Amino acid sequence: MDFDLTPQQSDLRDAVAALGRRYGHDYFVAKAKAGEHTTELWDEAGKLGYLGVSVPEEYGGGGGGITELAIVCEELAAAGCPLLLLVVSPAIAATVIARHGTGEQRARYLPGFADGSLKVAFAITEPEAGSNFHKLGTTARRDGDDWLISGRKCFISGVDESAYVLVVARVASGDRLQPALFMVPVDAPGLTMSKLDMEIVSPENQWLLYLDGVRVPADALIGDVEAGLPALFSGLNPERITVAAMGAGTARYALGRASGYASTRQVWGRPIGAHQAVAHPLAHATVQVDLARLMIAKAATLYDAGRDLEAGVAANMAKYASAEAAALAVDTAIQVHGGNGMTTEYGVATLLGAVRAGRIAPVSREMILNFVAQHVLDQPRSY
Amino acid sequence: MNIVVLVKQVPDSGAERNLRTDDNTVDRGSASNVINEMDEYAIEEALRIQEAHGGEVTILTMGPSGAAESIRKALSMGPDKAVHVVDDALHGSCALATSKVLAAALGTLNADLVLCGAESTDGRVQVLPHMLAERLGVAALTGARKLTIDGSALTIERQTDEGYEVVTAQTPAVVSVWDTINEPRYPSFKGIMAAKKKPVQALSLGDLGVAPSEVGLDGASSAVVEHSKRPPRSGGQKVTDEGEGGVKLVEFLATEKFV
Ligand SMILES: Cc1cc2nc3c(=O)[nH]c(=O)nc-3n(C[C@H](O)[C@H](O)[C@H](O)COP(=O)(O)OP(=O)(O)OC[C@H]3O[C@@H](n4cnc5c(N)ncnc54)[C@H](O)[C@@H]3O)c2cc1C
Ligand SMILES: Cc1cc2nc3c(=O)[nH]c(=O)nc-3n(C[C@H](O)[C@H](O)[C@H](O)COP(=O)(O)OP(=O)(O)OC[C@H]3O[C@@H](n4cnc5c(N)ncnc54)[C@H](O)[C@@H]3O)c2cc1C
Repeated sequence: MDFDLTPQQSDLRDAVAALGRRYGHDYFVAKAKAGEHTTELWDEAGKLGYLGVSVPEEYGGGGGGITELAIVCEELAAAGCPLLLLVVSPAIAATVIARHGTGEQRARYLPGFADGSLKVAFAITEPEAGSNFHKLGTTARRDGDDWLISGRKCFISGVDESAYVLVVARVASGDRLQPALFMVPVDAPGLTMSKLDMEIVSPENQWLLYLDGVRVPADALIGDVEAGLPALFSGLNPERITVAAMGAGTARYALGRASGYASTRQVWGRPIGAHQAVAHPLAHATVQVDLARLMIAKAATLYDAGRDLEAGVAANMAKYASAEAAALAVDTAIQVHGGNGMTTEYGVATLLGAVRAGRIAPVSREMILNFVAQHVLDQPRSY
Repeated sequence: MNIVVLVKQVPDSGAERNLRTDDNTVDRGSASNVINEMDEYAIEEALRIQEAHGGEVTILTMGPSGAAESIRKALSMGPDKAVHVVDDALHGSCALATSKVLAAALGTLNADLVLCGAESTDGRVQVLPHMLAERLGVAALTGARKLTIDGSALTIERQTDEGYEVVTAQTPAVVSVWDTINEPRYPSFKGIMAAKKKPVQALSLGDLGVAPSEVGLDGASSAVVEHSKRPPRSGGQKVTDEGEGGVKLVEFLATEKFV
């Protein structure tokens, strides 16, 4: 397995990094504090084809893989702009549609993912079903050719910025209920939303969604009823890999800030980085971050090679390692900055909420440990 | 319009840069090498002219084989093709020799317009555009902060310390640009993928009919004899204001003969 970037991947990395630097963390924080979105950055990255790197070429995308999309996520985050919607829209929604949509659905939606002009939120979590999606209470039932969807969703990111929400709802298949995915327009009658107050400095918001008999046409169903479960699973690896890449980028950003600060800040007549109490935690965090990046590269490589099962293990491990490393890196970066670490100006504590949430969402560390215990260590299922 | 853009690979000016201890030339081995920043503005200007007036944009680089990376990056911004003058004998060439080689390469390209950065961040001599124009027998419009084209008439606003001068010439001409002229684009992902397939022609000194003895360290008209690191800044003198800060400042300026 070769994780060396191709010249094109490395050029993509440089190009996205340069774009991200022009916006930077101050821009990201200013947008968050003003209650605005990073629309300029999103649109520019979209026009340059960075958001559509993994969309098939025949639909105007870059024809690359999840390796390329992970590069985009990591480099924007490393520039201080961790965009969660990258994980939701191009990674989850576009993959689900590209892999399981009908020909008509692909032709209709993928060109919008290719240039970033289409944003699609993803709604699976419910108040009574987070980690356990077998308990989903949202249902869709047929009414003539249409579907009527009812239920509640929570923590759904970026709905206010999106044209559609890809909603996971259960449908009757024989005498069973099984999950299916629906493209629901955000302005559909019967769909209401209210903003959750989150302790995260982010221009992207989480929403509570209420679906009260939302009527969608037959072709809102992705693929067909039988496609539901595989479609849902197809989004998981891209989600985990890109969210891990975002975490690794955020960590790199924080460690970059911290090492820059430690090498210039003098408290006892020499840079504080000369104290091992400062340098070692930074070095330790760096090791954790680079290990996580290695696992991200492995997961992305396996995924792009079509080795989905192996990719699943690697993607979960990458997500776990990256979330832990990012939380450690940001915490360490704050510590190194002393009191400045808690200011808005120094731009590290601003990441605290985001990296902390990374240990819970989109899949919690406990659920990954369950997965590893069960599938790697052959332990009995504990729940 | 047939446009050639000169692109030089230089050590990243944001990172630590060194001269080699053995022959006093720029150390390219240990540095991370990038496109000379000012050249990106020249590429952007060429692409804008192409978008408005059609024609072809060619990148011309003289540099070691590693410069291929910068050529690829330049092509990812959108130019059509590139010419890479690469020859071991070129190592250590002075500005005069460089202009000779580039002029010879330009001789094969039939350019209406040669665009380049006003200076490179490693050499910083700003002479190359003039030397090239002289060798080619064409006009030199240097230090442009704005370039307008009307048929074969070129007009630039030449940036000076006091303001700007309006200078005109007819094609063919060499135009060098400052970073005030535009905002270079980022390569799109499609551009990055397309660059892989664009033709890059390698030319040796033999291909250009230039003798190895005229170039390189031995053929150089000037040589760096010795070099040393800039001494670290000395501590300076701290004036603590205890009511007489102003007086002390003036005293300092007077002893240093600033006032
Ligand atoms: C910032 C943010 C953005 C989000 N964006 C989206 C989005 O766009 N779309 C969407 O659908 N969802 C989104 N979510 C929701 C997220 O996916 C869930 O919060 C996450 O899956 C956890 O589910 P839960 O909150 O219901 O926690 P619960 O399932 O209630 O879990 C609570 C705790 O119990 C632990 N736990 C539960 N079951 C087990 C078990 N069997 N063994 C061990 N421990 C267990 C969990 O690990 C966790 O620590 C987002 C959440 C956040 C914080
Ligand atoms: C919320 C908040 C409230 C505050 N309120 C007050 C207040 O009311 N009054 C007040 O006077 N101050 C206040 N402070 C300032 C606070 O006391 C300082 O931030 C703290 O003492 C650290 O000093 P510093 O910020 O200058 O960090 P620095 O001294 O610059 O330290 C930076 C980092 O280097 C480490 N370090 C420094 N020297 C060494 C060494 N020799 N060996 C190992 N590691 C070293 C530090 O542990 C730290 O991790 C407040 C700070 C905050 C965040």
